[in-house]
Amino acid sequence: MTKLKNQAGNLCFSLIIIGLAVMPLLMAAGVAESPLIIFLGKCVAFSIVAIGLDLIWGYTGILSLGHGLYFALGGYGMAMYLKLRATHGAITEFMHTGGLTALPAVWKPFQSLPLTVLSVLIVPAGLAYIIGYFIFKNRIKGVYFSIISQALTWAAYSVFIALSPYTNGNVGITEIGSLAGKIRGSANQGRLTLLFYVSLAILALIYATAAFLVRTKFGKLLIAIRDGENRTYFSGYRVSRYKTFIYVLSAAIAAVAGAIFVNFNGSITPSQMTIAFSVNMVIWVAIGGRGTIVGAVIGALLVNLCEYNLSSGGMIEVWQYIVGGIFCVTILFFKGGIMGLFREQIPAFLRKLKVRGGQKVES
Amino acid sequence: MRRFREDTPLLLAVYLVKNTPARRPNGAPAWSRVLIDLAQFFNTVFNGLSLSSIILLTSLGLAITFGQMRVINMAHGEFVMIGAYVTYLTQKLFLAVFPESLFSVYYIVAVPAAFAATFLLGSLLELTVISRLYGREIDSLLATCGISLIFQQAARHIFGAQGVNVTSPKFLSGGITVGGCTFSYNRLFIILFVALILFAMWFLLYRSNFGRQMRAVTQNRPMAKCVGINSRKVDNFTFGIGSGLAGLAGCSVALLGSIDASVGQSYIVNSFMAVVLGGVGKLLGTVLGSSVIGFSGIAAETFVSSSIAKAIVLLIIILFLQKKPQGLFTIRSRALDE
Repeated sequence: MTKLKNQAGNLCFSLIIIGLAVMPLLMAAGVAESPLIIFLGKCVAFSIVAIGLDLIWGYTGILSLGHGLYFALGGYGMAMYLKLRATHGAITEFMHTGGLTALPAVWKPFQSLPLTVLSVLIVPAGLAYIIGYFIFKNRIKGVYFSIISQALTWAAYSVFIALSPYTNGNVGITEIGSLAGKIRGSANQGRLTLLFYVSLAILALIYATAAFLVRTKFGKLLIAIRDGENRTYFSGYRVSRYKTFIYVLSAAIAAVAGAIFVNFNGSITPSQMTIAFSVNMVIWVAIGGRGTIVGAVIGALLVNLCEYNLSSGGMIEVWQYIVGGIFCVTILFFKGGIMGLFREQIPAFLRKLKVRGGQKVES
Repeated sequence: MRRFREDTPLLLAVYLVKNTPARRPNGAPAWSRVLIDLAQFFNTVFNGLSLSSIILLTSLGLAITFGQMRVINMAHGEFVMIGAYVTYLTQKLFLAVFPESLFSVYYIVAVPAAFAATFLLGSLLELTVISRLYGREIDSLLATCGISLIFQQAARHIFGAQGVNVTSPKFLSGGITVGGCTFSYNRLFIILFVALILFAMWFLLYRSNFGRQMRAVTQNRPMAKCVGINSRKVDNFTFGIGSGLAGLAGCSVALLGSIDASVGQSYIVNSFMAVVLGGVGKLLGTVLGSSVIGFSGIAAETFVSSSIAKAIVLLIIILFLQKKPQGLFTIRSRALDE
């Protein structure tokens, strides 16, 4: 029984994966429609970034309000490659408008796929390393880190908008296909299915890595840092190195998620880089359950699915009240989110009922 | 560190005279160039002062809630928005009820109205939500994040997604021109307004009985309770004051541009940085932090575009915080995690 309990998270995740894997088959059978699959693809990307955020927030206690930055950097890298493939390596429309005559050097590496994949991983990870190295070495933590990460994201956002000849400013990079080619429309269902399964495989891989990582000694150290940073310091661990490593890993995961997101979304805009979007990610993790990998996945899927259903029903106005309210209540009363509800609150409630029932029998 | 010399402006003028050719190519005498440069200098200083005072106004309330109560109020920007909307509503009320000649009075009514509305809302928020979150800094940040989402949506619901505009009262439109520099009444008013509020806050915190209680609760809560201070009441009032200050900020923000549901968001990042840069828990630190951000922002804007300037200023501050993570002013303590 205890063995089953320990594996509950993994079981849950397997069920989710199976549920998602069935969807393209339903599409082939004509039950589900292709916009739903495209949306689920985006949800897979969101789940991946939620896992990354959970690693640093739920396990290590570093709350980043700027993970949208890494998500968008990964997304922009992928979008640049896809855009250049659409124009066959030629200079794009918005560069002409911006006054450029040749392809800028920043865009050159994105003509080849291997270099693109490499830079999607390296650029955000490198940036996260520089930021993390200095901030954690100087022992900036807690809310100070959150405020600084928020300011950094905001700064990057305004730079991206200002450099519009290179990034197309507010509009972002639009009108791009996916790695598999065109996925919209019923004629391209095969490509969509392929892309979806590849994304699902990446999600499973990242989940497995994260779940393995938090069970090792390294994972226990992360939890130790969260619960008592100074004690960990005094036990002789270089806390800043562990924090930097997990921060860089989480940034890289966010970038991968961004790259997948672009494939399904067909565009990338600076709105993925805003503080509001980064706060959204935190909301997913909080509602699903911080400190459990599967909780992050559940939160991302559930919140986005609810939003999708409500917004198609014309309830988009009410949605923000609901999500804000649920988020507040979660923070105030249910620290563990949905997972915590199943792990702590409901068992505690059942025990209470049992005790009360026992007393009644006695009296 | 070299100190600012009182005769610096004079030296600057002398330098400009010495380094200006006797006659400019178009034949204007040299002194006119000096005057133009001086005018530009004073204009820059004035703009910096005005930007700093707006940042200061939006960060004062944050500094009080963060410094005194260790609560990060992410909904602070929404309180600014509410203050701005209250100003708008007061204006509408005056247009509808009172004769045209009394229209300019609306602003004088709007200031206390905005303060009262945000003060009450802040107290209510403290009673229901914040009071459960003392000692949980990060959770207070997150819960107020959720509240800010709700407030924003409520504003969109009531006033629509489109921005609304407030007409400046008559006595604030226009400006005075002194030797090539134009000082708009709007901005002059905001600078004076901030100075007044700053003085009031200083008096409240350091010269009044309530301020003494407040600081006592901050420094040692159990001891303060022992000597008979009602700490719950103090907390509630402190949070109310912090929110009320945001409402006052909203009043002046309303004069500067159109108001929509996300108007507070554009000020909040700078305000947070000003509080962190200044050091938590000191009024003087917040003043200095806001001035650094305001003046360096205006200075950087003369070289690059304004959005890049904002980014550069933030980056420089983040670099500076690496050197001094506690900010400019700190309350010394031996605690490990201060």
